[in-house]
Amino acid sequence: MIWLSWRLQRTETLVVLGVLALLTAWLVPTGLNMWDAYQHNSLGACIVHQALRCDSAIGLFRARFGGISNLASWFNLLPGLIGVLLAAPLVSDLENGTYRLAWTQSITRRRWLLGKLGLPVVAALLAAGGLIALFSWWRTPIAHLDGRLDTGVFDTTGTVMLGYTLFALGLALALGAVWRRTAASLIVGFVAYFAARIMVDFKLRDHLVAAVHATWRGRPPASFNNAKVLNFFATLHGHRVISGGGFTGGGVKFQAPNLNKALFHAVYQPESHFWPLQLTETALFTGVALLLIAFAAWRILRTD
Amino acid sequence: MNAAFSTHELGKRYGSQWALRDCTLEIPRGSVTALVGPNGAGKTTLLRLAVGLSRPSAGSVRVLGLDPHADAAEALPRVGFLAQEHPLYGGFTVAEMLRVGRKLNPAWDDEAARARIAELDLPLKKKVRSLSGGQRAQVALTLTLAKRPALLLLDEPVASLDPLARREFMQSVLEAVAERELTVVLSSHILADLERVCDHLVILAVGRTQLVGPIEEIVASHRLLTGPRDDAGEVARMHDVVRESHAERQTTLLVRANGHVYDARWTVHELDLEEIVLAYLGQDAARRREAVAS
Repeated sequence: MIWLSWRLQRTETLVVLGVLALLTAWLVPTGLNMWDAYQHNSLGACIVHQALRCDSAIGLFRARFGGISNLASWFNLLPGLIGVLLAAPLVSDLENGTYRLAWTQSITRRRWLLGKLGLPVVAALLAAGGLIALFSWWRTPIAHLDGRLDTGVFDTTGTVMLGYTLFALGLALALGAVWRRTAASLIVGFVAYFAARIMVDFKLRDHLVAAVHATWRGRPPASFNNAKVLNFFATLHGHRVISGGGFTGGGVKFQAPNLNKALFHAVYQPESHFWPLQLTETALFTGVALLLIAFAAWRILRTD
Repeated sequence: MNAAFSTHELGKRYGSQWALRDCTLEIPRGSVTALVGPNGAGKTTLLRLAVGLSRPSAGSVRVLGLDPHADAAEALPRVGFLAQEHPLYGGFTVAEMLRVGRKLNPAWDDEAARARIAELDLPLKKKVRSLSGGQRAQVALTLTLAKRPALLLLDEPVASLDPLARREFMQSVLEAVAERELTVVLSSHILADLERVCDHLVILAVGRTQLVGPIEEIVASHRLLTGPRDDAGEVARMHDVVRESHAERQTTLLVRANGHVYDARWTVHELDLEEIVLAYLGQDAARRREAVAS
């Protein structure tokens, strides 16, 4: 059964490997450049000491690599593409009626399904692991500048990509189990994946772990450094002088002399929440993915 | 249990539509049975129930004494099934298809499978997708036979084949039957395809069984009677009237006779199998027209 599942999934696996290879070929040179510039200008030390003289160096670094870093937000599509692609062999088996061939050999439906679901799940996890390794290395300089909670960094490091890939796989499998149309299930699955990602990225993520509420005068608390600021304002003599939110970095320096006496209020996710946020979001996507896969399995097993 | 395949009041419903209803039959071991009926009579449904692809909505089905669903792990290796559309993996080569058979069947007879493929001159390296319909059917049959089943179920196996491929395919089935003890059930809506190879007959009509039995007995028991008009009542008391038609002065009855027809007013003719089957199918069509009308 494993051989058959593998043989039927060979093309998709090769496509995924091809994508990973292309990505590596592109990311390794740019990543090396980025690391080189980062170390050459001692940006690491700059960030730690928050020295003013570093501002221009950091500015130059951003100017040089900002474009490529923005381009990299498209990487969010990859877990979705890989996930739905790996669902294709099972759905096309249902579409072409070849599942009936397998079901009338000597193995039971359950064993058949175990191979048909197990292999894409393993492949999805391996591919996501590869993406995580590649992006984590590549993004580290940017993560140091912007903080790990920056959406672009958060989405491509840690563990969330495992959940994203499984989620896309589960969506396409569940749709395919109902629809039995490969192309339609993959396309709609991908669109649904993207919609869910946008919802979670912009609406849900900041509330997965309780945010910190803080009030201070003068120097911000240490946890504010590199935090993801959800809401923020300062009052001076009872009047609101600045307000904002929805940015990452947190370490914004408020050097204006007239703000020395201001009272700051902020709601933010400190960088120390990186792992709790990562794990909660991974668990959320993985959980939904498992439900979708279980639904697909149930739906397929009761086919008659 | 002596029956290779039996059903008891078996029914299958899809939504509110019964695809098969009240089907009771018994097919003895070692027989080659033709399953005949018009399109939509439930032939495919019956065979799919037998191999466990579908679950009954009513009644029960046993193959080789086993429940095809509950005892799937035991029943599946012993039942060979060939679906009408001969599903195969289009992107696989013939050799890879054989490998699929070997991997999925513990009793797989690789030698016999390769011998068959060689004998039929099928190219091992060619992709299944690029084979002709007849060649694909032969690959599918090879797969089904090399599994060494005790019961072979073939659903409209030759419907999509040209006459030459039909003959070759049926020849292959006959050879397999001759080689070892094998019970075969073949479905078709064309009797001529099956008559040559079958010794038993099941007529399935409007989703119900109409007639089950050895072909010889069926032919021996059916008679065509011609006699005076409006005198059919007495015959109907003794024998089962399958079809009656009335002309101006005479009545023609096709009956399943229970013993001899002694009444001297009736002339008795023998019938061949095709006429008998057509009579049953005609009866079915008439009943369906009535059902639509009412």
